[in-house]
Amino acid sequence: MTRATAAGALIILLSVMLTAPVFGQPVLRWGGDSEGGAPFVEADPSDPDKLVGFDVEIAELIAKQLGRTAQFVQIQFASLDQSARRGDFDIGLSGIEDIPARRQSLAASVPYYEFREVLTVRDADRDRYRTLADLAGRRVATLGGTIAYEHLLAAERAHGITAVSYDDDVHPYSDLVLGRVDAVLLDNVLADRAMRRNAGLYTHADAVAIGHYIVITAPENAALRDQVNRVLRDAMRDGSLEAIFRRWNSWNEDQRALYDRVLDPNWVPATGTDALGTQGTLRTVRAYFPSLLRAAVITLILSCVAMALAVVLGTAIAIGRVYGDPVTRLLLTTYVEVMRGTPVLLQLFVIYYGLASVIRLPAFVAALLGLGLNYAAYESEIYRSALEAVPKGQLDAARILGFSRLQALRLIRAPQAFRLALAPMTNDFVALLKDSSLVSMLTVVELTKQTTIFATNIGSWVIPGLLCALLYLAMSLPLGYLARRLEQRWRMPTT
Amino acid sequence: MSTALTARALRMTRGSRDILRGVDLFAAKGELVALMGLSGSGKTTILRVIAGLETPDSGDVIAEKVGMVFQFHYLFEHLCAIDNVALAPTHVHRVSLSEARTRAQALLDQLGVGHRARALPRELSGGEAQRVAIARALAVDPPLLLLDEPTASLDPARRNDLGESLKKLAGSGRALVMTSHDDDFVREFATRVVVLANGEVVEEGDPHEVLTSPKHPATRELLQVEKARW
Repeated sequence: MTRATAAGALIILLSVMLTAPVFGQPVLRWGGDSEGGAPFVEADPSDPDKLVGFDVEIAELIAKQLGRTAQFVQIQFASLDQSARRGDFDIGLSGIEDIPARRQSLAASVPYYEFREVLTVRDADRDRYRTLADLAGRRVATLGGTIAYEHLLAAERAHGITAVSYDDDVHPYSDLVLGRVDAVLLDNVLADRAMRRNAGLYTHADAVAIGHYIVITAPENAALRDQVNRVLRDAMRDGSLEAIFRRWNSWNEDQRALYDRVLDPNWVPATGTDALGTQGTLRTVRAYFPSLLRAAVITLILSCVAMALAVVLGTAIAIGRVYGDPVTRLLLTTYVEVMRGTPVLLQLFVIYYGLASVIRLPAFVAALLGLGLNYAAYESEIYRSALEAVPKGQLDAARILGFSRLQALRLIRAPQAFRLALAPMTNDFVALLKDSSLVSMLTVVELTKQTTIFATNIGSWVIPGLLCALLYLAMSLPLGYLARRLEQRWRMPTT
Repeated sequence: MSTALTARALRMTRGSRDILRGVDLFAAKGELVALMGLSGSGKTTILRVIAGLETPDSGDVIAEKVGMVFQFHYLFEHLCAIDNVALAPTHVHRVSLSEARTRAQALLDQLGVGHRARALPRELSGGEAQRVAIARALAVDPPLLLLDEPTASLDPARRNDLGESLKKLAGSGRALVMTSHDDDFVREFATRVVVLANGEVVEEGDPHEVLTSPKHPATRELLQVEKARW
């Protein structure tokens, strides 16, 4: 087979695989986040390859009515808007909230579900914490990039609470049980699910706010959006939406009222108050820059303290590996290999969530420990090879002159090793500065996380991304400069 | 003449190789003893055993405090010349830094490298580095000074300077033991030569006698090899 025919065969095979569901019937790619879980989208517990949930059924209903075959595309919840604009899928639905910024930057459908933002607290606190105002000085959790998060940010200013943003809707509630946060604000669908999963929680019935779920499409795809609207309205009329929500125990009378409003020919989407979407670039930057700057300070402090920990621990490990007995060396080598051989993200999760039943570390401390312990492994390797690069002859000379081993290390070996280690160490510090963005998974809002929040809120990555990059560079460039200066001053002949 | 070094019946095996096969070596104060022998004859190993860097399988070493100058000097690269010399007195012998520096400067002056006191090892020439290394070894005032191939990297003028310096050190009551390939140097400056072959002493005595009319075939071979090299 020639190369051309092989490539041709491959292309045919790939296109067959991509369009496999039904020949001749076009595909409707729908984007959602299966991590969002039931009742929206989740892997069927009895068949993990299959997705179930009310959003899955609605997507299939829309596809069927449009004469197409639904095909799921997995997109991270926070990236759904960006992916819609990029054209990664035709329609997106995954508990996507109706917010003005979304209506402006994308083509949004009519709302198909109404939810209430509700406050969940520990049972013991049900009388103490009834509203956000009662939670002054307390930590209140929610899912990032949601209306609830906007409400919490407003409550931060109004009532002095601390808003804590999570990337999923499971850990806010489990951390509430553990006492890491004192309340969770999320929609009633998620709150209901969490109440079933966790004992000892209480959800206040009063809605802090009302919100709606919508279907999104790329802005230039308004025609498809209009078709979706027709399908949704038909489904509201003929009861098929109601049937879907009833199957998922999510039907209530709020929906009937919503459908009545949406089916009214005079219905227009509520515009609401949009924080920033309509403002000019400069005002947007001015509004968000202080919070980015604060987040950059968090990143810097986190990185510096984690690096300090890594340097101290790494030095101890390196010395243990060079001078220690075989058992010590084996233990330390194992530590280094495990820390280097597994993802730092996994280590962070284990320290924060995995150890929660033993020790409940605050997020910032867990982040510090995770990064410090991980980088200690890398630092120790640098120091070990630097120690071993100091000529053995110098150590012989020191021994004959009467220096003890510790003195030889302190006065002769370590100072030279440090000079050799300086360049790779700087490298690692810059890498740590950027890796520190992983700790946003533990609810620490550092620079990258704040940038994501910024981008989600204004529906664009251009300005937030640029500012974020500038701030990272502002931190890493001086560091590189300083390291080069030190290296020149202490230049070693062996380098 | 009092003895600074007595080594008896030194034996050492590494793997299947006999490195030392019953070596006896003595050095009295005022002596400059030259160890000669082809590469692999065990010269450097003897110095390392005397210095305590290697442990022989059997045999005794009775030696006073030892100073050693390595072939490649092994100066502490992060310290300038004077600090290389002053480091052991300040940290091992608890001499005050100013006093140690004063004495280090005097030693460097004495060896002709006083003007290089503030230079880092990488800025020194081979000859300068060697003299700093000698000063470093002398700073703790050892009665016995070991030198491994001190002439190896020196031009003829520097070789002569070194010889004079070593003669002076021996004259001031130290015992010096050096390894060398340079029979002219040994003839001129050593007070006694010890010829080694395959880990054994094969011949020893006055350098002029031994090197002018060698009795042992290994000594003759050694001299031929050295001649061929020059």
